[in-house]
Amino acid sequence: MTRLSQFLARNWAVLLLLALWQGWVSLAGLNSIVLPAPWPVLRDVLSHPALYLANAAQTLATAAAGVAIGLALGALVAVAAWASRLLAGMLTPLGLIFSSVPVVALIPILARLLGYDISTVVAIVAVSAFFPTFVFVGAGLKDLPRGADDLFGVLGASRAARLRHLVLPATVPNLMIALRITVPEGVLAAILAEFLMGRSGLGFMFREAASRFAMERALGTSLVVTVAAVLCFSLAHRAERVVRTRWS
Amino acid sequence: MTQATPDAIRLDSVSKSFRLDDGNSVTALEGIDLGLREGEFVAVLGPSGCGKSTVLRLIAGLESASTGEVRIEGRAPSQLAAAHRLGVAFQDHALLPWLSVAQNIALPYRVAGTKVDNARVDALIELVGLTGFRDARPSQLSGGMRQRASIARALVLDPDVLLLDEPFGALDAVTRRHMNVELQRIWSTRTLTTLLVTHSVDEAIFLADRIIVMTGRPGRILREVTVPFPRPRDPSVLRTPEFHAMVDELTLALEPEEAAL
Repeated sequence: MTRLSQFLARNWAVLLLLALWQGWVSLAGLNSIVLPAPWPVLRDVLSHPALYLANAAQTLATAAAGVAIGLALGALVAVAAWASRLLAGMLTPLGLIFSSVPVVALIPILARLLGYDISTVVAIVAVSAFFPTFVFVGAGLKDLPRGADDLFGVLGASRAARLRHLVLPATVPNLMIALRITVPEGVLAAILAEFLMGRSGLGFMFREAASRFAMERALGTSLVVTVAAVLCFSLAHRAERVVRTRWS
Repeated sequence: MTQATPDAIRLDSVSKSFRLDDGNSVTALEGIDLGLREGEFVAVLGPSGCGKSTVLRLIAGLESASTGEVRIEGRAPSQLAAAHRLGVAFQDHALLPWLSVAQNIALPYRVAGTKVDNARVDALIELVGLTGFRDARPSQLSGGMRQRASIARALVLDPDVLLLDEPFGALDAVTRRHMNVELQRIWSTRTLTTLLVTHSVDEAIFLADRIIVMTGRPGRILREVTVPFPRPRDPSVLRTPEFHAMVDELTLALEPEEAAL
């Protein structure tokens, strides 16, 4: 009983949404081409597990590769800007400008530059992850524990030792913030890129299904996308929390 | 001041002024002449804002003198730091929050790029009374324990010069007295040239061989007092009439306006 009430307390919003969805479809008597009911959508997912899993796995792998590249490059460029005042002057305004450009606007440009295949999708995700990482890691490199700067001064630390033993470890919590922000964004960027220019993955699957009015398939894809994005976000959120406790 | 042996640390007519954001400058120190013999424990005593921490920062090489000269063993302070021969404990412990106690104490080895001497790290953990906490992280320690770890870190490379910048300033009175007794015990195990900056008269008298009393705005040396109590000093010294007389004398020296009342 307590378990059931706990479940209801946590998920009432989702259940309400499902109820409204079902209610709307039943009361308005909507055709399944306009809007299918929840159960047929779920049935389509459950009866084609291999198809959904394969596409979800591809989208997640693309997003993961893109986020990994974006995080690595963002952190690397932030460190380069830390190490050189000249680079910092060049990169910081550029980073701020580009981080406020929406991904949607970049997709056609990158697709034109790199071609219409999966590596372009990875590149788009990487770009979407690069700028937040650059900004957050850059801020983290300057946010040192109190007194640490003086401490490394009296320890006679070289610039390399300072980077390795103070600046890089100090920025790890900010890197985790960047991860928490870029992971869900990366999943969405991957789906968006697949939707607009892809040949496979969940984004393409949605577009393909919607174009032939297979609405159970299209909404099933949306459902899988939602679940995947929520899972990725909560995993990244949890990872950030674990690191933050370890670091303070 | 002339000595038979040359001073380990010398400040010759040092002054220091800071430029403020509004373009004006403020004189923090003026005409400071100070010498520390090798192995001597000197306390710089003064009210807050008298520039005593600036004296320590000059010796640590964290600031440079506006006029005059600071020399440690005849060389510039920054050279001592670069040679990893300087141990400093700050008021805010400056322990790195992501490292354990043992890793924090071993940090000077890593920064110097030498192999960590784990036996020495463990010995220091025992010396400062943190046995059993070697794998704890700073956030899990009390304020007094963090300061002990910070002092152990200052001692780990066996420095030539130890600088203590109000290391117990943030502690309550009881813990502070306890830490003073501990520091006196630790210092007795190996005599090294030490400068302690403090605003506590008791602390200065209990720990130091010589006390420099400073006055503020601009920071100048008011007087010098030699502490007569023999070493090693037992905490019972704190209860003798001579100790109390000296505390009263220096307290008055710090607050001359109160003498007129």
